Amino acid sequence: MKVLKFGAVWCPGCLVMKPRWAEIEKENPWLQTEYFDIDSSKEMIDQYQIQTLPTFIFLDKENKEFLRLVGEIKKEKLVDTINENKNR
Amino acid sequence: MKIKIAKFFSILFVCVFFVSLLFGGTVKAETNLDIYMFWGDGCPHCEKESKFLNELLPSYPNISLNKYEVYYNKTNSTLMKKVSSELGSNVSGIPYLIIGDKEFVGFSEGITDKEIKDRIEECVVSTCPDSISSIINDNNKSDEKDDEEQKNQTIETKESKIISLPFIGKINTIDFSLPLLTIIMGVLDGFNPCAMWVLLFLISLLLGFNDRRKMWILGSIFIFASAFCYFLFMAAWLNLIIFIGYVSWIRIIIGLVALIGGAYSFKKGIENKDGGCEVTNKQERKVVFEKLREIASRKNLLIAIGGIILLAFAVNLVELVCSAGLPAIYTQVLTLSHLENWQYYGYILLYILFFMIDDLIIFIIAMITLKMTGISTKYSRYSSLIGGGLMLIIGLLLIFKPEILMFG
Repeated sequence: MKVLKFGAVWCPGCLVMKPRWAEIEKENPWLQTEYFDIDSSKEMIDQYQIQTLPTFIFLDKENKEFLRLVGEIKKEKLVDTINENKNR
Repeated sequence: MKIKIAKFFSILFVCVFFVSLLFGGTVKAETNLDIYMFWGDGCPHCEKESKFLNELLPSYPNISLNKYEVYYNKTNSTLMKKVSSELGSNVSGIPYLIIGDKEFVGFSEGITDKEIKDRIEECVVSTCPDSISSIINDNNKSDEKDDEEQKNQTIETKESKIISLPFIGKINTIDFSLPLLTIIMGVLDGFNPCAMWVLLFLISLLLGFNDRRKMWILGSIFIFASAFCYFLFMAAWLNLIIFIGYVSWIRIIIGLVALIGGAYSFKKGIENKDGGCEVTNKQERKVVFEKLREIASRKNLLIAIGGIILLAFAVNLVELVCSAGLPAIYTQVLTLSHLENWQYYGYILLYILFFMIDDLIIFIIAMITLKMTGISTKYSRYSSLIGGGLMLIIGLLLIFKPEILMFG
């Protein structure tokens, strides 16, 4: 499983999510994540049709999107989602 | 005989000519002149014009000033329509002054006062027409009755603004309403994301430097320059409204803008349940980011400070269209409140102080913790909902019940 994180430095919600993800990544070193800044990753924005920030896209082993979360998400919800889909 | 008559008239003419030379310029018509002023209780320009006329008119004992209040007195309001229609102008703004069929709408110190004085002098030296006296006389009988009703209404309105609170006693809501409204609108406007993105970007840039002093200086200067720019914009808007005077159609247009803006903001608050930021590909944003990078990385602090001030002004001007709604509506409410000049500016400063509070909190936390923090976007959602609701209420009041917004 891999998580694509889309955000921007000017978006307050993205800044709120940054430390939450930092904690999750520290607690789950196996988790693959990648961050894309809206102002410098136009191709990815178009490819995944990002409308609102922050957006978190969950990809399975075949790089297929199976879940998309938008906005400020509580850490507990993220952890639960990750644990439930660990083997995908 | 004809020669004798001609001689008589020639002598008479010469006598009149010399007498007029002797007394010319000081001779004033003895005929009385009525002048008419339509005003509103709480209208600041009307107050200024009244004060000016009260000082001027004692020098002209033959001139009588007839005043008609139009906010609370429907008869006078109808009379004003009739009068302006008779003069072919259909004026809707006040103060509306008529001197010998010449109209003066609004009052601007240094301009209108001179024009009024000139017209009075003109009417004193020569006779001026008064084609509206008949309309006024027709209304005089019903006026007396209306005046009594108007007084009762005004007393009722002013008394109803005093409320009793347990343990505190009686308080006049007027003393609290405007500061409270100022603080609420300022805070709600502060959550408006229009200009905040630049501050967040600037902080993220500053955090990349190891020079704490530079971070504090550049960040604070950006915030204060933005606040100053906002102050200038609000002061300019305030003066524009004051200059135009109490014109009902401007109040109604701003009321409509408030309704549209409020509905949009409310809709956005309801739709944006995730509280996320909208993705836009703004070219200006990229330009601003590049400029900020360039300015912040300057080694010469003075040049960096100059650059940051210019950029703060530029960004706030670019974002003016986006962020102008609430301040424009607030300024309109302020002008309805009949305040002294220093009070107007004091309230604008109070508004800006609360407007900047969220920016200051984010900046100070970032500078102390050296981490980028954002205020949760769920607050911006609430701000959209509350701000939208408030704008809808103010819009309705501006259009239908402006007297409720007259706090002065």
